[in-house]
Amino acid sequence: MAKEKKKKVNPYKTSVMRRKEARNGLLFVLPWIIGFLAFTLYPIAASLYYSLCNYTVIKPPRFIGTANYRALFHDATFLASCRNTLFMICVGVPVTTVVAVSVSILLNYKKLRGTSWMRVVFFIPTLVPTVVACLLWIWVMQPDTGIVNTLLRYIGIQGPGWLSSVKWAKPAFILMMIWTCGNAIIIYLAGLQDVSETLYDAAAIDGAGFFKQTIYITIPLLRPTILYNVVTLIIGVFQWFTEPYIMTEGGPSNATMFYSLYLYQNAFSFFKMGYASAQAYIMLVVAMLVILFLFRVLKFGETEMDS
Amino acid sequence: MKNNIRLYKFSVFLRRLLIWLLLFGFALLFLLPFFFLFTGSFKTSSELFTVPFRWFPKKWSLNNYRAVFTKIPFFRYLRNTLIIVFFNIIGALVSNSLIAYGFARLRWPGRDKIFLIVIATMILPYQVTLIPVYIMFTKLKWIGTFLPLVVPGFFGNAFYIFLMRQFLVGIPRELTESARIDGANEFMIYLRLIIPISKPVLATVAIMSFMRSWNDFLGPLIFLASDKLYTLSLAASMLRSNLDPNWELLLALGAVMVMPVLVLFFLLQKYFIQGITMSGIKG
Amino acid sequence: MTLRNRRALVIAGAMVLSAAAAYSASADVTTKTVHMGDREIVTEVVDLGISGEFSYWSCFTGDSATWDQERIDAFNEAYEDLGIKCNVQFVPDGAGINNGKLISAISGGTAPDLLITDNPTSAYQYAAEGSFLPLDDILTEIDLKVDDFFDGCKDVMYYDDVCYLVPQDTNVILLYYRPDTAEECGLDPENPPTNLDELNVWADAMTVATDSGYDRFGIIPWLDSGDDAFVLPYIFGANPYDSESGKINLTDEQMVKYMTWVQDYAAKYDPEKINAFTSGLGGMFSPDHPFMTGKVGMTITGNWFSEALRQYAPDVQYKVCPVPVPEGGRVKSSTFGCNVFAIPYGTDEKQAELASLFIRFCEQGSVNEDNFAQWRSIPVIDAAFDDVSLTKNGDEMYALEREIANSPENGIPALCAVSAELSTQFQTVRESLIYNTDLDVTEELQKLQDQMQLQLDTK
Repeated sequence: MAKEKKKKVNPYKTSVMRRKEARNGLLFVLPWIIGFLAFTLYPIAASLYYSLCNYTVIKPPRFIGTANYRALFHDATFLASCRNTLFMICVGVPVTTVVAVSVSILLNYKKLRGTSWMRVVFFIPTLVPTVVACLLWIWVMQPDTGIVNTLLRYIGIQGPGWLSSVKWAKPAFILMMIWTCGNAIIIYLAGLQDVSETLYDAAAIDGAGFFKQTIYITIPLLRPTILYNVVTLIIGVFQWFTEPYIMTEGGPSNATMFYSLYLYQNAFSFFKMGYASAQAYIMLVVAMLVILFLFRVLKFGETEMDS
Repeated sequence: MKNNIRLYKFSVFLRRLLIWLLLFGFALLFLLPFFFLFTGSFKTSSELFTVPFRWFPKKWSLNNYRAVFTKIPFFRYLRNTLIIVFFNIIGALVSNSLIAYGFARLRWPGRDKIFLIVIATMILPYQVTLIPVYIMFTKLKWIGTFLPLVVPGFFGNAFYIFLMRQFLVGIPRELTESARIDGANEFMIYLRLIIPISKPVLATVAIMSFMRSWNDFLGPLIFLASDKLYTLSLAASMLRSNLDPNWELLLALGAVMVMPVLVLFFLLQKYFIQGITMSGIKG
Repeated sequence: MTLRNRRALVIAGAMVLSAAAAYSASADVTTKTVHMGDREIVTEVVDLGISGEFSYWSCFTGDSATWDQERIDAFNEAYEDLGIKCNVQFVPDGAGINNGKLISAISGGTAPDLLITDNPTSAYQYAAEGSFLPLDDILTEIDLKVDDFFDGCKDVMYYDDVCYLVPQDTNVILLYYRPDTAEECGLDPENPPTNLDELNVWADAMTVATDSGYDRFGIIPWLDSGDDAFVLPYIFGANPYDSESGKINLTDEQMVKYMTWVQDYAAKYDPEKINAFTSGLGGMFSPDHPFMTGKVGMTITGNWFSEALRQYAPDVQYKVCPVPVPEGGRVKSSTFGCNVFAIPYGTDEKQAELASLFIRFCEQGSVNEDNFAQWRSIPVIDAAFDDVSLTKNGDEMYALEREIANSPENGIPALCAVSAELSTQFQTVRESLIYNTDLDVTEELQKLQDQMQLQLDTK
């Protein structure tokens, strides 16, 4: 719109400047374009081809059409991995979000002293290298000697087998997800800073308590931030690999077989590169849909400049 | 009347106390794994497995740490890790600031569509690209060097681009417009005007890039052919023997790996929080 | 951490090489004394008239890596004069065989000249895929006689009658039991169970139930058999894969017997409770192994477990006997668990020859002695038992191992072109049968059989 205006003022000058600006723009993003072509686009194209092949890496790929895709939907383990991933998205992500939002709101509660160190505490788990975090949580979740069950025992509850239990393995991962939600908390806290104080004051005058204020003011105003964090979490769940790989290898009874883990297994343990590529492609399509949805419907990441 | 005020004040105090205690308890829970990591790293193997759980080691012994430093070439792994980390930070700073500038402050046809692709690559499972990329690196004879772990860092990273772009978009257009009208070279605008005020976001990208390469496990595992080039993340797998997981040593190694990150965090806390914040608010 | 890692460190395959050296024209054999760790060993040196360096990927880590390094140093000392040197790289996770590193390296042409892995199942699949070099000619050239190897080991060595893998050692599976527990439960520790019915009787007798759960189990059928899914089915008499016909067979009577046994057990006791009760961190090598803590009275596992007991539970009394089997099972037999050498495809002839010298070096009894003594693993040929100190000292358990090793029914099951996946999927089916006791054993096995057969046929 603004461009149109300028054009009217001085079409010639503007078009020269715009051409120059366009050239400069491309020059600046050139590193990304090169990297994208070399490290992303070419491999993606190669993988697409592989997904239509029987490919074991050692022998050259043999074209088999859509057989891999068709086989996937009859593969019990693949379907289990989809179910598990979906479970984490439908249960793990909301639970984590509720915890993170609640903690943030409480931390943000006005006139509360002595909480700045808590912010640090909630954040530092995200700094632990994943490999270390996994090794640590194997311990935390131990039925006999683990801290979680030790604490539960103090309050008279016999804790489950966590990682060795079909029922409790996924909840165990959710607990770990909560432990590493510090990033989200920081972002929520920032979002809360933007909520105007006067809104609360007005609400307080109307007699709304802390709880009502939270429900009717805080949460609605925090919605974009919540969306952002939820999306980040969902992306994380899609790519979730190191944790189940190190901690459970997908067991027991496929209870923690997640999408990326099974993909990795097919590719590198069973040498079914074509099959794994097909899996990756399904993942890619789903991921693209999520992104498009965010862009179109929620206006996520849309440029605010263009003034 | 007085009584009512006192009662009201008391109830406010009580509520605050309650919230504080709730948070306090929760924070303690978050700290427990750390507590376990550090106390566990001083325990002997059999102490680790004692039932019921023992909160503190009987004897604070440094044996596990000593073993970590002698059983594996710890300092060689550390040096390798630092080399990779260093070049990743440099690459991330240079490339992402340039790229983000191109996306945030310059208009060119198709920019927003391409930016959508940038965002999309964020969620691209790396498994899709791993094998073709590996074969490419092999043909370039890069396997067995640090190059596969370093070079891609010089071509931008979607998340950092996103982060920096969000920051750059927020800088008022007037700031650079006058320089541009004066005919200043675009690169000079970037270098002289933009970079100096981007320090917070640059610091964030540096820290995140540090975290990323410090923690990276699969990359070194696949691309580094020789244990002479191994990094600390791989040290865990070298430390545990084929038969014996050596848990007490793993905990000591974990503690050693966590420590520098925590120190770094406490030194640069401000930039860290700032960056994370920035990634979220523009969402 | 995975159970398959357990075979590490051990070498066996002590070969009496010196005796019948030389029908190979080029091999010129001398002996030399070199240092291995802090002792001196006598080794043979073979001069093929070539010199150079070769690269070697070792799957060993931790203490096992230290030991392999000693072995390499000894080799380099022995071959110094000939200008031959082994350059080792320690590559975790089975020399990269389980995590894609090896396959990437082979396809990219950066694979080593030689590797050793503790995952023979995956190694066999690599061999079937054509990722390794055929070794028959080279073995003849360096005069390594593999004909005398136990027949059971040959399962993993040959694919389509071509030799691709050479085991450096092997291991046998035994029933470990606690005599004190047996006695306490009114059982005779001198007469351990010999068949499945007796095993069940023992298991029931040893199990102690409480109001809320259990204090002890007699045996847990799936404990310690994590990654080696086919160990027990094989000993129970099943033949999961027939290399003659190329058919996967998961539905024969013995297999169903095994699976039913497992499922009945799960139905009788709650698997959630069992696993919460017994789950340990380090598998076999941690002091919280249920056998060490007395949570189970018996367990079925390999000879290496004796070393775990020595290290982490020196006070626990234990005895071993052959694995009890149902009718139609393989009596007093075992599967063989091996560490195997392989030379990746694409290695040029000279490099392969250099590498083969290291294989030959590692098959010597003098190189292996320490590890036999520590891990009780066994040589790959019977005659070599005589030179092992454990045999000389009249060790009872080692004698039993030798007896079992000589059973003609021993073997390594389910090796085929899809063995890595077959093993994993089989385990998954076993787990789902454990956790869903209403599922039909035969039906589930049939499904897996069809699925895997299809994959095998389209290879």
